[in-house]
Amino acid sequence: MKTLTRYFKVWWLMSKNSFMSMLTQKFGASVFIIGKLLRFGFFVAFIFFLLKGANTLAGYTFNQTIFFFLTFNLVDVASQFLFREVYRFRPLVVSGEFDLILSKPISALFRSLMGGADVLDLITIPPLIAGIIYVAGFLNPSTVHITLYILLIINGLLIATAFHIAVISFGIITLEIDHAIMIYRDLTNLGRLPVDIYMEPLRGILTYLIPVGIMVTLPAKALMGLVSAQGVLLSFLLGLAAIFISLRFWNFALTKYTSASS
Amino acid sequence: MQMFLVFFLWSSVFSDPSRELFGYNREKILTYVFGILVIRAIVLSARAVDVAGEISRGDITNYLLKPINYFRYWFTRDISSKALNLSFAALEAVILFFLLKPTIFIQTNGAILALFFLSLVIAVLTFFCLLFLVNIVAFWMPENGWAAQFLFIVIIAEFLSGGVFPLDILPIETQKVLNLLPFPYLLFFPLQVYLGKLTIAAILKGILTGIFWVVALAFGLRQVWNRGIKHYEAIGR
Repeated sequence: MKTLTRYFKVWWLMSKNSFMSMLTQKFGASVFIIGKLLRFGFFVAFIFFLLKGANTLAGYTFNQTIFFFLTFNLVDVASQFLFREVYRFRPLVVSGEFDLILSKPISALFRSLMGGADVLDLITIPPLIAGIIYVAGFLNPSTVHITLYILLIINGLLIATAFHIAVISFGIITLEIDHAIMIYRDLTNLGRLPVDIYMEPLRGILTYLIPVGIMVTLPAKALMGLVSAQGVLLSFLLGLAAIFISLRFWNFALTKYTSASS
Repeated sequence: MQMFLVFFLWSSVFSDPSRELFGYNREKILTYVFGILVIRAIVLSARAVDVAGEISRGDITNYLLKPINYFRYWFTRDISSKALNLSFAALEAVILFFLLKPTIFIQTNGAILALFFLSLVIAVLTFFCLLFLVNIVAFWMPENGWAAQFLFIVIIAEFLSGGVFPLDILPIETQKVLNLLPFPYLLFFPLQVYLGKLTIAAILKGILTGIFWVVALAFGLRQVWNRGIKHYEAIGR
């Protein structure tokens, strides 16, 4: 508990610094937020008009489709808010400044992963949650389904964490981060809409191999009462396995760090 | 990757091959999806995105001192970039075609094809002017040149040009307003011409509107450029 409090204090301090540095660029930050909101609005409008004409998408109604989209955004934005530092990891390895992180008395993984939370993403989370609660109201979920939804969202974030750990580990070995993170973003973007729209074998790949479906589609399905107990159990096992494998990969990657340029 | 999302989304909506929606059947909507991939490479790929950076770093001074036309220089670079991107997009389209095996609509009418290519030329010129205009905002806001580009090119032009979804799924009143703007003439209009969804009169009207925007944007670009150059202080040089 004492360690957890200490890490929370460190995270708070690093996040505060990151927020203050962001606030020095108010104009750019405002444009970025407006752009994100416009993109979100355009996509919601697209889903609205599409389903106005088509009535359903892969058997899902408008409210259900919007709920999938909002859930995807929640997991996506929350992971970007928490793990923005990953995007700044490459220069640390290339310049050898990663040495300074390794020599500090906190976990190097924690610092590399969560060292710079993004205030721009944080701002969009509360309205997103409000939107999710509003749309969920139309789906009449039971308490059990809401609980499962929350647990599966946490599980989705756990898988997102595993992806980010894998990306920075890969970065240590190959010095390649930007493209790896772009591939991750592209893959997760496939979860904007329920994975049921994809045909096999892509649907299977997106559910089990690259578990985008488990990250974003499954929580939404759980709230709609469309997931079996086995499905939920399998998701949690996959989440834990993903974290375990990514941590092993991180430890392996650390052994390959050469401290070049430092 | 996003191609999969768009392809399967429309494939799911048009899972019944006889279904007609928003004026499209399965064949035409999948042609639209693949067409966007190729036309985007022709129209939206441009090196002029770097102009803002050259202005803010002061690098543009080097070009102003040389006996070359800065616009023509960037247009030439744009064309070479488009050629490169088109070859990648074509390869990508071929791979995806064999993977997804979509039914594709092939336009065989020579006149329509000629008008389609003309609409593409207009689209390329329109985008060049738009992109340049947005980039030279850096004369006044050197630190935030990227912001205008992000907002107008990455977000607004992407959606309002029909790059994410065909604009004819929108209400007719919205379409009428959008048709007055330059954005639909970048991707949506050329594809409508190719798909044969427009009458000859509607195509000619669209082409004339496109030409009007090219002229208006080129004129606006020249005016803003002249003011920008007067404002330019060669900071960093």
